[in-house]
Amino acid sequence: MSHQTTFASRAQQAPPAPEPEYGPPPGVLVLRLGRALALPVRRRSLIVWLLIAAAVLMASAATLTVGNLGISIAQLPSVLSGGGEATDRFVLSRLRGPRLLVGAGVGAALGIAGALFQAVTRNPLGSPDVIGLGAGAGAGAAVAALLVPGTVPVPVGALLGAGLAIGLVALSTGTGLRHPGRLIVAGIGVAAMAQAFTHFVVAVIARDEATSLATYLNGSLTARDWEHAGIIWGALLLSLPVLLYLAGPVRLGEMGDEISQTLGVPAKATRTVAILMSVLLSAAAVSVAGPISFVALTAPQIARRMAGAGGPSLVLSAAVGALLVVCADLVVQQVPLGEGLPVGIVTMALGGLYLGHLLIREWRKGTL
Amino acid sequence: MSAPSNAVLAARSLTLGYGADPVVHEVDLEIDPGEFTVIVGPNGCGKSTLLKALGRVNRPMSGQVLLHGRDMRTRRTKAVARELALLPQSPVVPEGVTVRSLVERGRFAHHTLLRQWSPEDERAIAEALELTATADLAEVPLASLSGGQRQRAWVAMVLAQDTGVLLLDEPTTYLDIAHQYDLLQLFARLHRRGRTVVAVLHDLAQAARFATRLVMMDGGRVVADGTPHEVVTSDLVREVFGLACDVVPDPRTGTPLVIPHEEPVAG
Repeated sequence: MSHQTTFASRAQQAPPAPEPEYGPPPGVLVLRLGRALALPVRRRSLIVWLLIAAAVLMASAATLTVGNLGISIAQLPSVLSGGGEATDRFVLSRLRGPRLLVGAGVGAALGIAGALFQAVTRNPLGSPDVIGLGAGAGAGAAVAALLVPGTVPVPVGALLGAGLAIGLVALSTGTGLRHPGRLIVAGIGVAAMAQAFTHFVVAVIARDEATSLATYLNGSLTARDWEHAGIIWGALLLSLPVLLYLAGPVRLGEMGDEISQTLGVPAKATRTVAILMSVLLSAAAVSVAGPISFVALTAPQIARRMAGAGGPSLVLSAAVGALLVVCADLVVQQVPLGEGLPVGIVTMALGGLYLGHLLIREWRKGTL
Repeated sequence: MSAPSNAVLAARSLTLGYGADPVVHEVDLEIDPGEFTVIVGPNGCGKSTLLKALGRVNRPMSGQVLLHGRDMRTRRTKAVARELALLPQSPVVPEGVTVRSLVERGRFAHHTLLRQWSPEDERAIAEALELTATADLAEVPLASLSGGQRQRAWVAMVLAQDTGVLLLDEPTTYLDIAHQYDLLQLFARLHRRGRTVVAVLHDLAQAARFATRLVMMDGGRVVADGTPHEVVTSDLVREVFGLACDVVPDPRTGTPLVIPHEEPVAG
C-alpha cells in the first residue's frame, strides 16, 4: 500500500519521458557552425555539385592547355602562381585566362537567371532566352555601343534593354507574368522585335563595325579582358546575398501563390525580386558576352534532373551553366570546324534540339 | 471598435471579392480557441473566399481579419504562418517532389536565413507523418500516390507547420467515402488535441457530425451560426439550399441528418 503510494507520487514527480533525439534524415547532412548556422544539404546534391565543379575545373585546365599556344600541363601550376615563361604568362593573363573566367561567370549567371525565371513562371519554357530577356539585353547593348556611343555604359544599356523587354512582355500578355503559355507567345514576339531592332542598328547605323558586332550578337567570348571578367563576377558577388535569401521562397513559390503564402512566403515580393535578379544577371551576362542562347533554358533543367529532389537549385544551375559555356567555348576554340565561331552558335545548336524536345513534351502534357 | 475578445480569429465587417462585385458582404465572425468550426453553404455562397481571407491569402476589399487580436495585414507573412496554416483546394503538385520533402516545406516559417534545420523540425515532421499515416510513403513521389494518400500528404505538410489554427478548404473533395471519414476523424483528433480547426465542407451530414459549431452562409452573408442542431433544420436547408427535406437524428451519433424529399421545391 505505502509502496504503491510512493510509486505513484514518484511517477508524478518524475520528469516526462525524454523525447527521442531527432537527427537529420538519412541522406541529409547538416552544415553547422556553432548555434548560428544549421543548413541541411542533401548528400546527393553535394556529390553532384562536387562532380560538376570537378568537371568545370577539368574543362578549364583543358581550355588553358590544349592546342596552339596551350600552356603545357607540367608548367600550368607554376604559370598559375605567377611564374613560368613569358609566352605562357601572356596566354594566361591576356588570351585564355580572362576568356575562361568570363565564360564560367556568364554560364553561372545564365544558369541562375534561368532557374529563377523558370521557378517563378512554373514552366521550363519560361526562361530568359524564350521570353526575350536576352534579345532585349542585346538590343540595349547595341544601342549603347553604337547608336549613342559614350552616353551610357554598355552594361547599363543591356540592363535597360532587358528591363524594357520584360516590361513589354508583361504588358502584352494582359495578365502579367502568370500564364506560361501567354508569356511564351508574347516573349517570342518581343524577342523577334528586339532582334529586328538590333539588326537595324547594326546594318544601318554602324555598317563599318557590323562584322565584329554580328559576332558579338550571337554571343561570343573572343577577346574578353579582365574588365569583362570584373563585370560578370561583380554582378554574381553582388547578387549572392539576395540569392541566398531567395532560394527557399522560390522553391516554395513553385507550388502556387496560395500555398506558398500560407507557408510563410510573401509570394508577390518573392516573384518581383526573383525577376529583378534574373534581369540583372541576364543583362550582366549579355553585356560581357552577347546573348549566349539556351544556357539559361537548359542548365536549370539539367541541374534539376541531376539533383533528383524536385524543385530548382540555384547553386547546381550555376555550376551546370558554367560547365556548359566553358565546354562550348572549348569546342569553338579547339575543334577545327568550330574555330572562330561565336560560342553562342554552339549553345544555340545544342539548345535548339533541347527546346524542340521541351516544346513537344509540354504540348503533350497540355501545359501550353 | 468592438469589445476585445479572446477570439483566435475574428473577421470585422469583412467584404471580399474580385473587381467590383463583392462575393462576401460585411461578415463578422469570431472563432474561439478550441472550436471545430465548419462553414457550409450552397455553391458560390462565398465560403471558400471567406476561408482564404481568414488565412490571409485574399486581400479584403474592406474590413479586417484579426489573428489573436491583431490585424493580419500589419504582420509579416512568415510570422502569421507560425500561428495559422491553410490547406487550399487542389494545390499544384510540384514535379518530382517526395512526400517527405513536401512535408519538410511545412517547416519554412520556423526557419531563418542561416538556421534551416533543427531537431524540432524533425520532431514535427515525424509527428505529422505519423498522424497522417504517411510515414511509409515518405520517400514516394507525390505524383505517384492515390488521391487519398496525396491528400493525407498535403495535410501532413500543414501539420508540420505546427500552428494552433488549421484552416481547411474542402479537404475531402474527390475522395471516396472511406477516405473522407478517415480525414475527418484525423481533424477531429487534432481538434481534441487542442487545435482550432475551421473547415469548409459540402456534406451537411459530415459537417454536423464533426463540427462543434456550424456557420451557414448564403449569398455572401452568414445566415446561421450555432451548434449543428441549431443550424441544420429543415426550414433553413429549404431556404438556403432550396431543398425540401426532413431532418432526422443520425442513428449512431444523434447529430442532424438531412433526408431530401422525392421532389424538389417548386419555384
